[in-house]
Amino acid sequence: MKSPFRPNDAPDASVLDVHRPLIRSLERRGLLRGGLTLGSLVMLTGCDVKRPEAVEAALLAISNLNDKVQALLFDPNKLAPTYPDSMILRPPKFNAYYDVTDVKPVNGATWKLELSGLVQDKRPWTLTDLQALPQSSIVIKHICVEGWSYIGGWTGVPLRTFLERTGADLRAKYVAFKTADNYPSSIDMAAALHPQTLLALQYGGQQLADPFGFPIRLRTAVKLGYKNPKWITAIEVTNTYPGGFWESKGFPWFAGM
Amino acid sequence: MPQNLHLIVALAMTFAAAPALAQSPMPGGMPPPPGMSLAESTAMRFPQPVRVGDLTDRLILQPVESQIILGRVHAVVRNAQGEVSVVMNFGGFYGYGGRLIAVPIDAMVLLGDEMEVVAYTPKQLAGFATFSADGTTPVADDAFLKVGLAKPSH
Amino acid sequence: MTQERPTKERRLHPLAVRIMHWINAAAMMVMITSGWGIYNDDVIIHGLHFPGYLRLGEWAAWSVNWHFAGMWFFGINGLIYLTYGFATGRLRERLLPIRPRDIVKTVIDTLHFKIAHEDLTVYNAVQKLLYIVAILASINQALTGLALWKPVQFSSLVSLFGGFQSVRVFHFAGMVVIVGFVIVHVALAVLVPKTIWAMLAGGPRLQSPKPSRGLSKS
Repeated sequence: MKSPFRPNDAPDASVLDVHRPLIRSLERRGLLRGGLTLGSLVMLTGCDVKRPEAVEAALLAISNLNDKVQALLFDPNKLAPTYPDSMILRPPKFNAYYDVTDVKPVNGATWKLELSGLVQDKRPWTLTDLQALPQSSIVIKHICVEGWSYIGGWTGVPLRTFLERTGADLRAKYVAFKTADNYPSSIDMAAALHPQTLLALQYGGQQLADPFGFPIRLRTAVKLGYKNPKWITAIEVTNTYPGGFWESKGFPWFAGM
Repeated sequence: MPQNLHLIVALAMTFAAAPALAQSPMPGGMPPPPGMSLAESTAMRFPQPVRVGDLTDRLILQPVESQIILGRVHAVVRNAQGEVSVVMNFGGFYGYGGRLIAVPIDAMVLLGDEMEVVAYTPKQLAGFATFSADGTTPVADDAFLKVGLAKPSH
Repeated sequence: MTQERPTKERRLHPLAVRIMHWINAAAMMVMITSGWGIYNDDVIIHGLHFPGYLRLGEWAAWSVNWHFAGMWFFGINGLIYLTYGFATGRLRERLLPIRPRDIVKTVIDTLHFKIAHEDLTVYNAVQKLLYIVAILASINQALTGLALWKPVQFSSLVSLFGGFQSVRVFHFAGMVVIVGFVIVHVALAVLVPKTIWAMLAGGPRLQSPKPSRGLSKS
């Protein structure tokens, strides 16, 4: 992922957050304007377009439309390719919005997973509780929006199982995550219920190591890497758009594969 | 219309307009702070077990945005003092050719299925003596070593 | 080809073609320069990295947004162009036949600095070949782009190209081909400015009637 240290004048997340609902409600108009602005600006200025507000708004309007197109393209029964255990990269590739030296390990003994939103049973979960749930293993490709990829082997609780156990409203729109490293994230319910979406507790048959999200992280085969929050501390089921860390800086929200 | 100039102009301009080979500093594989030992800097990088045999032939990169190739892992050796080094070819082109040098494994990090030298600049590596196997023993493929991590450099 | 059948006057570049050409030109600029911004976060050719002034999008997120906006213009416009080109016979008329010996002859003429005819309405063999390559490269970009965008939904497309990283290489190679084409195409258009005027205003009127199916121009 892009480091927050570059560029120096990083986009101000709050501005985008403020604008998002407005953009959503004005999508059609934004799209129309977007098409015109896009074309005319490129004609006029070639590739050196800065980010005037109108261009930014137009791009975000199209990005929101793309999210809807992606949701239509998503086939909940389509499985991502899987690979033999022998192809698992050990250890996996580390990535975060900061370098590894800034990783703050989570204490598994005191860690709790909080639940909120449209969930019947909001009792927090301990690591032992989660380990007692039925586990499933997948060997899938992790693809980062940057372009790199690797094959990883993950074991954990299918998110669908967890949501069913906790009495979550499976017709809600979003499942949102909070993490120990302040990396909020969210996915659509269809992706959350996909059989290759896990609350991962293990990598390559061993407990997740600290830099890879111990005690639990999300691993879904149907989203780009940045939709897989690590060190999860809370899950919320909601109908209110929750956004996410990179999404608030401009990256598309749906990010489906 | 002289469109049959296509071929000539194509060759000439493709090369002329090829984007510059650039590199830039980044916050990924930062060198260890001054005064810190290599072992201490690795300890900060959450060293993870990796099978020695899995390191062979891995690309070794410079921690810059353009991911310049420094060489490839040739072997992993241990000296009489028990210090482990990665023997890499250095000074070649795109990971091929060059001479062998031994770089302390604590000067390097894992970056997915590649490695990076974080503690030495290419200029410093150029000053390394050519590797001689005397007094070293190869580390077995099935052995596991702990190597630090870094995020991608950009 | 001396039929005296009265036909509607035709221009070298009908209005529809001109509109599609300029939409495509803008869309390609967007796709190429935003693609360079995305490329930079994980290079394919180690050491090759695109400087900021060549990239569209202040950093990767905005390059991604430009790319995923531009793709609709590039893709839909391209689909309409190909449909139009096949349906009206324009592609066949302008780009076929193309014979290896004509290509060799054109290359030899070029090496002898013999500049071919001044007739804008007939493309020489190398020109035809370049336009065909540009069209094929564009189709490659659309297919590999789709595979990169949706590697799970279109996983069979990914397999066809030999895996995700391999698709990236094909997508990059297609860009290189298109950039090479664009450079030559623009350089020659600038050398012969009336070609630019033709793509804006329509160009010379065509004398011959539109060829019927199966009748090729030579």
